[in-house]
Amino acid sequence: MKCRTLLVARLVVVVTTLTFGCCTAFAADVTVFGAASLKEALDAQARQFEKDTGNRVVVSYGASSTLARQIEAGAPADVFISADLDWMDYLEERHLIRPQTRVDLLHNALVLIAPASSKAVLKIAPAFDLAGALAGGKLAMANPDSVPAGRYGQRALEHLGVWQRVRQDVARAENVRAALALVSRGEAPFGIVYATDAMADHGVRIVDTFPTSSHPPIVYPAALTAASRSAAAKPLLDYLRSAAARSVWEKYGFGVAP
Amino acid sequence: MIDVDIALSRGAFHLVATFAADARVVALFGRSGSGKTTIIDAIAGIAKPSRGSIRVGGDVMFDAAAGIDVPPERRRIGYVFQDALLFPHLDVHANLLYGQRLRSADERFIAEDRVVELLGLGALLHRRVRTLSGGEQQRVAIGRALLAQPRVLLMDEPLASLDVARRVEILDYVERLRDEVRIPIVYVTHSVAEIARLADTVVVVSGGRCVAVGPAHDVIGRLDIVSPVDRHEAGSLVDTRVVSHDAETQVTTLAFDGGVLHVPAIDARVGQSLRARIRSRDVSLALQRPAGISILNMLPARIVAVNAERDPVVEVQLAVGGARFTAAVTRRSLRDLDLHPGLEVLALVKAVSFDPYGVD
Amino acid sequence: MHALSADEIGIVELSLRVALVSVAFSLPVAVGVAYLLARSRFPGKLLIDAVVHLPLVLPPVVVGFALLLLFGRNGPIGRVLDQWFGVVLAFRWTGAALASALMGFPLMVRAIRLSIEAVDRRLEVAARTLGASRAWVFASVTLPLALPGIITGTLLSFARGLGEFGATITFVSNIPGETQTLPLAIYTYTQVPGGDPQALRLSVIAVVLSLVSLAVSEWLTRRTARAQSDDRR
Repeated sequence: MKCRTLLVARLVVVVTTLTFGCCTAFAADVTVFGAASLKEALDAQARQFEKDTGNRVVVSYGASSTLARQIEAGAPADVFISADLDWMDYLEERHLIRPQTRVDLLHNALVLIAPASSKAVLKIAPAFDLAGALAGGKLAMANPDSVPAGRYGQRALEHLGVWQRVRQDVARAENVRAALALVSRGEAPFGIVYATDAMADHGVRIVDTFPTSSHPPIVYPAALTAASRSAAAKPLLDYLRSAAARSVWEKYGFGVAP
Repeated sequence: MIDVDIALSRGAFHLVATFAADARVVALFGRSGSGKTTIIDAIAGIAKPSRGSIRVGGDVMFDAAAGIDVPPERRRIGYVFQDALLFPHLDVHANLLYGQRLRSADERFIAEDRVVELLGLGALLHRRVRTLSGGEQQRVAIGRALLAQPRVLLMDEPLASLDVARRVEILDYVERLRDEVRIPIVYVTHSVAEIARLADTVVVVSGGRCVAVGPAHDVIGRLDIVSPVDRHEAGSLVDTRVVSHDAETQVTTLAFDGGVLHVPAIDARVGQSLRARIRSRDVSLALQRPAGISILNMLPARIVAVNAERDPVVEVQLAVGGARFTAAVTRRSLRDLDLHPGLEVLALVKAVSFDPYGVD
Repeated sequence: MHALSADEIGIVELSLRVALVSVAFSLPVAVGVAYLLARSRFPGKLLIDAVVHLPLVLPPVVVGFALLLLFGRNGPIGRVLDQWFGVVLAFRWTGAALASALMGFPLMVRAIRLSIEAVDRRLEVAARTLGASRAWVFASVTLPLALPGIITGTLLSFARGLGEFGATITFVSNIPGETQTLPLAIYTYTQVPGGDPQALRLSVIAVVLSLVSLAVSEWLTRRTARAQSDDRR
């Protein structure tokens, strides 16, 4: 009987130490919260930065809206890269970023995509017949209420006078990559994503590109969070704006802000 | 030794029990549902009376007025349950030592070896509980209660769930217990045979009340107060001593204060004391000695009293030397033989009516 | 099948750590609550019972959201934990453990309660007459006899914790190496172009882990039950 109690006591001590002993501070050197569309490019940049400096980088991807709210709730991000200005403004208004570190990092374009096997031909122009082309199928978009890619898409369709006719056919995805996946798997005949997303996925083909005049400029701002204590955060941000990083961004289809 | 004065209600059942007893074995006798188990539950601290007091060995276990209610684990009162209640996840040895482990060394006055030897548990020590027979389980249960070093041992109809052969076996052990271990026993039973064999003092419980308290010898004759059925079992207890065995005719002779009794041969040594129970219904009366009859015991007796009630069966109390017998006869015989106090008669008792096992 | 990559091993290790810690800390609480529900009568017992079962019937997202409100850095409990003890649960693997613990709690309590109720109360009474205090009766009689149910409950909760998604992603988000448990990793891979093979690999691992826990639970339960059964009743 005694032996069993001792064993249990030992187990409790071990577990408690493991739990609290090792994790009062975050293990990574820099934590980045980045828009979902940045996945491949930012991963490549992070690996290179790690190799060059030995600092560890952890990136959490998601819709910019979700990430911003998580940062607001106290998530331990050091760097935030948003897919639109609104969500960065949102954090800046709440003093959750360091305004002096805020920069515009990248540009992107908005495209209409279809599954790679689709033969659809559509020209984007005012009042073009997207509804007819959908023919009862779904238009995959990131949630137009909050996610940048969805917002841009809605603004573009509104500008072209097409939104009212297709709004009930929209399949709202949690982020732009989820929308991309829907089209890539053939679940939706059309979708609206960034040009860089279409480049990353061989399962889709670009039907046409939305004219830049139809939507606000797609700008990716980046900034250090106010709560960040990481010494490697600023170096990472500087790296992402460096000439070495530029070629990587362009390789993945992003435009680099001057 | 045991002083009980309580009132207790369990649902619709109301118990009022008052008795005091100091003997080796105090039997609580009564029909099922009479309240005897409730009484020992209260003594053990498992059931809480609504008022009154319970004293054991001079210590107060319960006193409603003074707000005293000693929890069961501190009463040092052992309890042998009707269905043993051995712990299934422990083997026999662990079961036995369960209570002893909780006592400090200087509180241990009953030794493990003694209990194992007394109850014949040696071969069972490493068996799992579920492989034991009913009788074996009961012995382990007794051993376990003993090794918890109790000041009093309560036994709740320990033979009730056993078959007849097992009952004989366990009765032997309980008798050894009574004789060899100096712990008072409170023994709950509805069996007259068990009382006859074991009890010194009997408390008769009926309908939630203690209706009689007294020495076993006396109470055995007055069982009519319990129920008409028990009256059928009424009789007398006679203290005897084994005098001789006749190997050829297989008859044992017992001597008592008033004569001798011949019984079919029993396994007892000469000089051993035995308590014999003679059921009233096994005693016939004769005004003169009948001839050519198979009855071995014909004892001169004098009628002391006659219970002249309205029933067809009448109890006649007899003095046989210094012993008291009762005979049950019909009202007709009472009239025809003119049986009255003072009359000298012969008490006829069939030898075969003696039950050597005491288990009826 | 190739061997697991370092990332995959990390994900599995994190998931196992989260599930094990969640079970280790919720077990004593579950035993206590199960005992209370099985043996005591008190006003409000039905309410406690209902609250315990809430995570079982609520959408996991709701549980995660409630956790965020209470234990987030700005939440009432989270703030106290942070300022007084320096313990932060939101966006940490410890928070994932809390989410898993909560979601698995009703399963644990149910199984343990059932097995405690199955313990013959008269055995507990017998133990008390032998000199055991209430606490000792619980430790030496009730618990050992309830062990099969405790094992089942623990392993069920463990398996549930391994698969926990909705509450986890809502409360601690999806941070690789910190809160990205197996289900979250699989979810992430479904959104990576060409990520299906990885998602499948991880899914197979998830299935294997669940099967193993269920098998171990079955085996342990049978073994303990056999060692203890008293089938004379």
